[in-house]
Amino acid sequence: MRRQSGEPAALSGFLDQHRRSALRSLKDLLRNPTATLMTLLVIGITLALPASLLSLLQLSNSVAGSQPNIPSLSMFLKPGIPDEQALTLSATLEQKAGVENVELLTSGDAMQEFREYSGFGDALDALDENPLPHVLLLQLDSEIESGPLQTLIGELRAMPETGSIDYDQGWIERLQAISLALRRVIEAIGLGLALAVMLIIGNTIRLEILNRKEEIEVSRLVGGSNAFIRRPFLYTGLAYGFFGALLAWMLLSLLLIIVSGPLERLAELYGASVSMAFFGIQAFVILLPVGILLGLAGAWLAVSRHLSAIRPE
Amino acid sequence: MIHFENVSKRFPGGNYGLSDISLQIESGAMAFVTGHSGAGKSTLLRLIALLERPTRGQLLIDGRNIGRLPDRDVPAHRRRVGLIFQDHRLLNDRTVFDNVALPLHVAGVSVREVGRRVRASLDKVGLLKKEKSLPLTLSGGEQQRVGIARAIVSRPPILLADEPTGNLDPELSREIMELFLAFNQVGITMLIASHDLDLIRSLNRPIINLHQGRLT
Repeated sequence: MRRQSGEPAALSGFLDQHRRSALRSLKDLLRNPTATLMTLLVIGITLALPASLLSLLQLSNSVAGSQPNIPSLSMFLKPGIPDEQALTLSATLEQKAGVENVELLTSGDAMQEFREYSGFGDALDALDENPLPHVLLLQLDSEIESGPLQTLIGELRAMPETGSIDYDQGWIERLQAISLALRRVIEAIGLGLALAVMLIIGNTIRLEILNRKEEIEVSRLVGGSNAFIRRPFLYTGLAYGFFGALLAWMLLSLLLIIVSGPLERLAELYGASVSMAFFGIQAFVILLPVGILLGLAGAWLAVSRHLSAIRPE
Repeated sequence: MIHFENVSKRFPGGNYGLSDISLQIESGAMAFVTGHSGAGKSTLLRLIALLERPTRGQLLIDGRNIGRLPDRDVPAHRRRVGLIFQDHRLLNDRTVFDNVALPLHVAGVSVREVGRRVRASLDKVGLLKKEKSLPLTLSGGEQQRVGIARAIVSRPPILLADEPTGNLDPELSREIMELFLAFNQVGITMLIASHDLDLIRSLNRPIINLHQGRLT
């Protein structure tokens, strides 16, 4: 083993102790690779489940969130109102509090647009008169509260020229509410599963402690401190947490790769762009420390409950 | 060095392991503890290594009352006491080297130092060539000597042996005792529990006789 000559003896002895404990834990994990792999898979899948749900939720939020968040509403006028009256109305509305800007789409313009985009040009020629109403597109103050907004919508609805009003912010709000609720549910599930991972690791360490009862006794006989006896088990817990989280991350990445095609297509439809790489990195940065912490906590739980019971005969 | 002052050890259930023991073992001395099984030989040794705590009385080691030593200081105390058992208590899944190295690992000795000291210790018991063997491939006498190498590797000032020759034939027993005499010569305080009266009488060392937990 390489050694830096400058290391003081006590420190190098301490580091050697840790190195030895860590190596021993790894060796023990590799001694029974099938059992270790199964435990790691259980941990990995358990961690991957809430992680992928959260990632997918976040992806869908990033698609929805990329919509410009300026509240706007469309006011359809009653048919037959002359262009001049619509123009006057639009100028009046522009003065109202909470209204930023009003754009008038006359029935003629609308017809023209419809003719161009729908491909029903010939069919429309067959109509005697233009069936389309004038539409006023109101851009509202982005800071508008829901109280004044409702008042405004009420006033607009009460106007004699108004046919109907379409306030299309509703779906985004509903989506956000649903996704918030979903997030809470997933977080609760995640918390439960994290606890499960901790207990799985704790139980694995407990069995390991029972397996190594003799070694623990002999270590105590030759003056092993509690810290010394605990150490290899904490390293084992840490290793389970780390490799379990790594496995979870690999499963999650696999899932992201599978859904990335359809999701990118969806995002394109909404004019948004999502970066799968970003979500992969984010999950990595969160999953690994969480896994390590859960592993250590589980090991600590087992160690503090079971080690003190083993005393040399 | 080791000073018992009216020490009693009562086990749960009311049995006395030892009652009212007073004795003194000077630093660098070597003594035997003898008596029938159940007379309290092991208990006496276990008290010194703090595997048990005295129920009453004072047990001073180097002038310190170890009966009251807080739990967290017990490991440090045990590192100053080498223990040898009749059944060796070796770890059978580790090599001779690793078994002997354990007290050094526990004490946080650096890797290079460990190698040197384990080999020195194995050399003393004549097992230098067996460092890579597993304990179960060795004879009973060799296993006992591995146990002895483990006990002396951290150079403890006190060495306790509980029936170290219990399973060995007379010739091997004598060899082990001669090893102990050699350790004592370099200043290690030794206390050996044994019921092999013929052997220990021939060694001309003080003998502590126990009968039903009392000195006789």
